[in-house]
Amino acid sequence: MARLIDLASRPTAAPVLVGLGILAVWEGLLRVVSPDGFVLPPPTEIAAAFVENFDAIWTGATITGYVIVSGLIVGALLAVGAALLVNRFRIAHEAITPLAVAISAVPIIALAPIFNNWFGLTSARSKQFIVILLVFFPIFINTVKGLGLADPSKIELMRSYAATKSRITREVRIPTALPLFFTAMKVSSSLAVIGAIVAEYFGGRQDALGPMITQAAGLTRYADAWAAVLAGTLIGTILYVATVLIENAVMPWHSSVRTTDGR
Amino acid sequence: MATVGERIASEDPVVRDQLLAEQARSEDRRDMAVRTLRQCAVFVAFMVLLGLLYTAYKAFGTSIDNAQHDWPVVGSILPRADDLNMPPISGILSEFGETTRGTDQSYARTLLGEGLFTLREAAVGFIAGVVLGLSMAIALARWKFLDRGFLPYIIASQTIPLIAIAPIIVIWGRKNFDFFPWEWQDWMSVSIIATYLTFFPVAVNGLRGLKSPEPADLELMDSYAATWSETLWRLRLPAAVPYLFSAFKIAATASIVGAIVGEISAVVRGGLGRRLFSEALNYTTGPERLYASVLGAAVLGIVVFLAVAGTERLVLARQNREVL
Amino acid sequence: MVAPSTSSPTPAVQVQGVSKVFNPGKSNQVEALDNVDLAIDPGEFVTLIGPSGCGKSTLLRLIASLTDTTAGSIQVNGKGAEQARLDQDYGMAFQKAGLFDWRTVAKNIELPLELMGWKSADRKSRALEMLELVQLAGFGDHHPAELSGGMQQRVAIARALSFEPSLLLMDEPFGALDEMTREHVQDELLRIWQDTKTTVVFVTHSVPEAVYLSTRVVVMSPRPGQISSMIDVDLGGRTEFTRDDPNFHTAVTEVRKALRAVGA
Repeated sequence: MARLIDLASRPTAAPVLVGLGILAVWEGLLRVVSPDGFVLPPPTEIAAAFVENFDAIWTGATITGYVIVSGLIVGALLAVGAALLVNRFRIAHEAITPLAVAISAVPIIALAPIFNNWFGLTSARSKQFIVILLVFFPIFINTVKGLGLADPSKIELMRSYAATKSRITREVRIPTALPLFFTAMKVSSSLAVIGAIVAEYFGGRQDALGPMITQAAGLTRYADAWAAVLAGTLIGTILYVATVLIENAVMPWHSSVRTTDGR
Repeated sequence: MATVGERIASEDPVVRDQLLAEQARSEDRRDMAVRTLRQCAVFVAFMVLLGLLYTAYKAFGTSIDNAQHDWPVVGSILPRADDLNMPPISGILSEFGETTRGTDQSYARTLLGEGLFTLREAAVGFIAGVVLGLSMAIALARWKFLDRGFLPYIIASQTIPLIAIAPIIVIWGRKNFDFFPWEWQDWMSVSIIATYLTFFPVAVNGLRGLKSPEPADLELMDSYAATWSETLWRLRLPAAVPYLFSAFKIAATASIVGAIVGEISAVVRGGLGRRLFSEALNYTTGPERLYASVLGAAVLGIVVFLAVAGTERLVLARQNREVL
Repeated sequence: MVAPSTSSPTPAVQVQGVSKVFNPGKSNQVEALDNVDLAIDPGEFVTLIGPSGCGKSTLLRLIASLTDTTAGSIQVNGKGAEQARLDQDYGMAFQKAGLFDWRTVAKNIELPLELMGWKSADRKSRALEMLELVQLAGFGDHHPAELSGGMQQRVAIARALSFEPSLLLMDEPFGALDEMTREHVQDELLRIWQDTKTTVVFVTHSVPEAVYLSTRVVVMSPRPGQISSMIDVDLGGRTEFTRDDPNFHTAVTEVRKALRAVGA
């Protein structure tokens, strides 16, 4: 028995087993306990709705997906740029992180109606700005922290080679900052998805994913609603996986150090 | 009585150590007070700067008759600066004193009440989320199979935009949560969203914190023949406190956001979310109110954050530990 | 190498034919110890010394029953090492002071006592006693972060001895200290050892430290870990002049020779 548990605990086996288990329980429970009219349909129904509405979902996914991806990229660029500036010119270096953290406590989504007025209800801009603001802060804060984590002895070494500040940044600070940057990117990919969808609630194109969800829910077509949610989840997952792939490509040295099994 | 200088220069390492320890303690407290004040000052300065930028942009826009909105390329990100789209700051601030339609209290008072309503939703959800997340973290720390098996799903759960299905949750709540000993009210469904947004950072960060003790410390507990739960209580949990506070800060703000959005999609009246939505609909009859309510929501978020961050500083300072 | 048989009835620590292999059967298999025999009498101060990879820390861990032997047996106080651990027969002080940041100094010392179920009043008075013993009276309500490295190590020693174990296991506890603090803490340790009559098993890299502190120095060789030689040290009571004593230098030279013989 212990050996069986050991086997099941292997890194790849366990999540797969658990996943299958969850799906099985979900499907079984719902089929047995309640027929239709239930708010959370069994996975097979959701899958069916997904396939049935594929065209509409695809359109919605492209509209919302465009906002998500463009907002994420622009937000990341701005955040990294700002972090590099703050680090290079030591702008309020001690107070900047707490400031950014405090501002990120503001419910940014509350700005959605204002942005709708400024940039137009149906334009992508208003939603993009929400996403940009949402992802800016975690990426900025983490990158600033990462740049500052650089080992002082390595920096001293570079200075003994009379390296310029930019060179030091490139050779030492940026590699040190990469792990934290990618952590923030992973968090930001789900933030971007949620931000875009919720921003769409405040008004916008009706064929985007957000309105699709609420409209379906309003018509009690729950499988359709969840199918649209699934689409959003897939976008988020794709972004997450993309981030991990980029991370592994850019930091091959780090993946071997990652997730050493603690006790 | 030897002077401080003499004592520091003293050969006796015992006395010297004592002095340094005492000095370190008072320095730390002073440093922290100074740092906190400086950070407050920077925040206030930033707000003032924002206000100035806003007013300057308005002046600029009005002077060129809002042509910037039609400029090519950048036009789409330069809004019109007229009073409807960007009400003057003075107008926004004075709106707080105006009487709310249909009542006899000031707008500020109304916002306060609605803010507290939203706060309650968020707080209930937050507490439930902390309990849930911490239990998960402990379970995952205890049994490796759970760690390996469930952690990917816990992480994946956050890609499901639960906020997006808030209306579904409300209906869910109405239909199914009558096994609770109290009557299920709609705002409780909103709390579920806050719970969902809270349990993830608490579980993930809590797990990291529970696993954070050095092997040497774990061996120490082994040498005392301590059981797993004794080690949990005396080593792992205290070690996890800074990590948990990190999570609490994220979760607290997320709970507020979740509550606000939840109210909108779930049509829960009485909170700030609903207020934001209705002011957005009635924008043309009074843009100042929308801005005022947005400010109110911002204040709520910041106050909640400061409460958690303040508690964190106090607790960690008492134990002489660094904020993560 | 066979250990000389002891004349006392029960050795404090009896290691017989102990081998330890890490990752057996895998590609990164390591033979840390091979057929080691060692007997330590009560009240001795024995230091294990040797080049990296000789297994001295592993041997200490085995005595502490923090890991299992691959072969052979270890008796502590006449019982199996695991039983001795469960009975809390020993105190340990390893290099990373391992003090808990969030507890005060006094509460750190009380930690093992809490786990043993001592009453609060008893714990507090014992903690005060121990603080006196390591000359840190008055620092009870400080936090570890406020103390210097030397003071932290003294707290660790106080904690290790708080429940008056008959055996004290120490793995390079003074490694992170500067020379002057180190000598000071070494004297403290010797004083405590004489007062409490504890048996001490000590691991270090430093030859002068080994000779200064011990009644016997055990030199180990690496790959696989074995005991190469044992040198009795007889310098009488240590004073501030001991380190300048020619006998001290002779003993140090003897240990260095033994170390060179095993390739250190």
